[in-house]
Amino acid sequence: MSTDSIRNPYLPTPMHVLHAYYESTDRTLKTLELSFDNPQDSTAFFRKFNPGQFCQLSVFGKGESPIGVASAAWEGDFVRFTVQKMGAVTKALHKLQPGDPLGMRGPLGNGFPLEAWKGKNLVIIGGGCAFSTLYALTKHVQHPQNRPDFGQIVVIYGSRSSGLCMYKHDIQSWYKREDMEVHQAIDIPEEDWTHHVGYVPDVVKQVAPSPVNAVAIVCGPPIMTKFTLPALVQLGFPPEAIFTSLEKRMKCGIGKCGRCNIGSKYICKDGPVFSLAELNALPADI
Amino acid sequence: MNYRLPKKVLIQTLNAWAEQAEVFAPQKREGYAQFLPWEAGNELLLDEPHNTRFPPKAFFLPQSETLLTYNRKLSQLEMPALQISQRIIFGIRPCDARAVALLDTVFATADNPDPYWQTRREQTILVGLGCSEPATTCFCTSVGSGPFDHAGLDALLTDLGEAYLVETFTVRGEALFANLASANANDAEQAGTIQQQASALLEPAFTTDGLKEHLDQIFDSYLWSEFAQSCLGCGICTFLCPTCFCFDIVDEAQRDERVRNWDTCMFRVYSLEASGHNPRPTRAERTRQRFMHKFSYWLEHADQFGCTGCGRCVRYCPVGLDIRAMIRKAAATPSEAVHVN
Repeated sequence: MSTDSIRNPYLPTPMHVLHAYYESTDRTLKTLELSFDNPQDSTAFFRKFNPGQFCQLSVFGKGESPIGVASAAWEGDFVRFTVQKMGAVTKALHKLQPGDPLGMRGPLGNGFPLEAWKGKNLVIIGGGCAFSTLYALTKHVQHPQNRPDFGQIVVIYGSRSSGLCMYKHDIQSWYKREDMEVHQAIDIPEEDWTHHVGYVPDVVKQVAPSPVNAVAIVCGPPIMTKFTLPALVQLGFPPEAIFTSLEKRMKCGIGKCGRCNIGSKYICKDGPVFSLAELNALPADI
Repeated sequence: MNYRLPKKVLIQTLNAWAEQAEVFAPQKREGYAQFLPWEAGNELLLDEPHNTRFPPKAFFLPQSETLLTYNRKLSQLEMPALQISQRIIFGIRPCDARAVALLDTVFATADNPDPYWQTRREQTILVGLGCSEPATTCFCTSVGSGPFDHAGLDALLTDLGEAYLVETFTVRGEALFANLASANANDAEQAGTIQQQASALLEPAFTTDGLKEHLDQIFDSYLWSEFAQSCLGCGICTFLCPTCFCFDIVDEAQRDERVRNWDTCMFRVYSLEASGHNPRPTRAERTRQRFMHKFSYWLEHADQFGCTGCGRCVRYCPVGLDIRAMIRKAAATPSEAVHVN
């Protein structure tokens, strides 16, 4: 019996590193831009890709780690990831140099419901390295072809310090754009920092984005999300208009290995993006 | 189609099958019943009051299995050739066959079907033996199944004393028995009586009306910590469970392999995240997960309980935690009785 007829969902796509550079001054965050070994894999990837999705990055001998995609399709024939050095796999990913081979499975998960957001104002709220998928979202909507689909764009992005702020040069250029509003924040004051100082939930209250015809997208560490969601509710955003992306320990990424569930939903397959209304209907198993 | 299989030709039937395919049948080794390869001259064990210690799920989802091999020259992972010959599992009990059918809803899905599961499933014929005398730990009738349930089976045998009545449900099941004489009306009637009597022996151990809804309401109850107080967290209830399917994927670098191993929600590291956060930090949350998965979440995924009432978790729990008693207790716990963390 041959299994060739069934595509093996556990088999990573062969990739290689195009660019690798540190994203933060403390060298805990590294960005990898990956290129496809085979052009047909690229076609297959971009046919399915949607900002908000993630991939399983694979370093053989170490294992796999789920990492959010930090690039938009129009940026080029590569996939960007920003990896925080945490365990064995991410340490190995940090060691990769341009030209090095690695594996990738994906895109996995649902991604942001962009179709449903058409015509809406977007309030994009991120904290720490979880901003990576929001960066993909922002890049996506910035494209001249996509931009008319959305109304006002407000980005609120907080990091612990300016050194941990990702995609610095690009974000710097966003301030010049007339079609979006950018608010960056750090937790503790620093010399020469001209933007907000404070935690993301407080900055959200201060900026007070309007809930009228808007959706808010929140990605950050659990503690940030925990306090930002009620702040948005207080500003008048209904639970159906608040979205967040969740993370859990994952292995298969396709809803089979069992571990990433909240109630009957698998974060890998049914998520990682959920509206607050959907989350409110699930048990508190986060 | 119904056939009559005289008991005196059973062994010779198994021997004949074994010439065409790999046949596995319950036999006693190391003091307990297990599914072992059938060879002429072996001793069949069909009158054991209890089911095999290990469920036959490993025939489809091995406890440890190589998913991919690493090609050092190409620096790439590849799928090894998965060569599974035709297999017949004889004497599988209806609860275990139903479990295989349940797991089809996880692995044989339209999206991302699991090729390892699919190949093994396509190559394996399940010939069941109904349970005329269910054991004291059995509770299949309480979870929507029964001692003669034919979910997942290609054929089912009912013990008539001198012979078996064989009911076939699939083409490949039919093919195995087509050379036998058809059963007569008397055989079918006798089998029907035996099947009804066996079901009647299994009084429902708990009521399932509104069970899911009630469990969803007591998610935050103190009850889970109460259950967890006696739980050792050994995980045997999940490893021996025919419907538990959770797995881990790890790289065995020295063997150049990526391997899938059975895993269990009863272990702390199962859900431990890289940040150190764990959504299920204590046995209370983990006990709840196991329980809720089987009796609430499965209903949303497959409209069936993720439990077939085989009773292995009851029989082999080292501290005697009985899922039937747990369900009764959960059902009797008022949804207002919620503890504050």
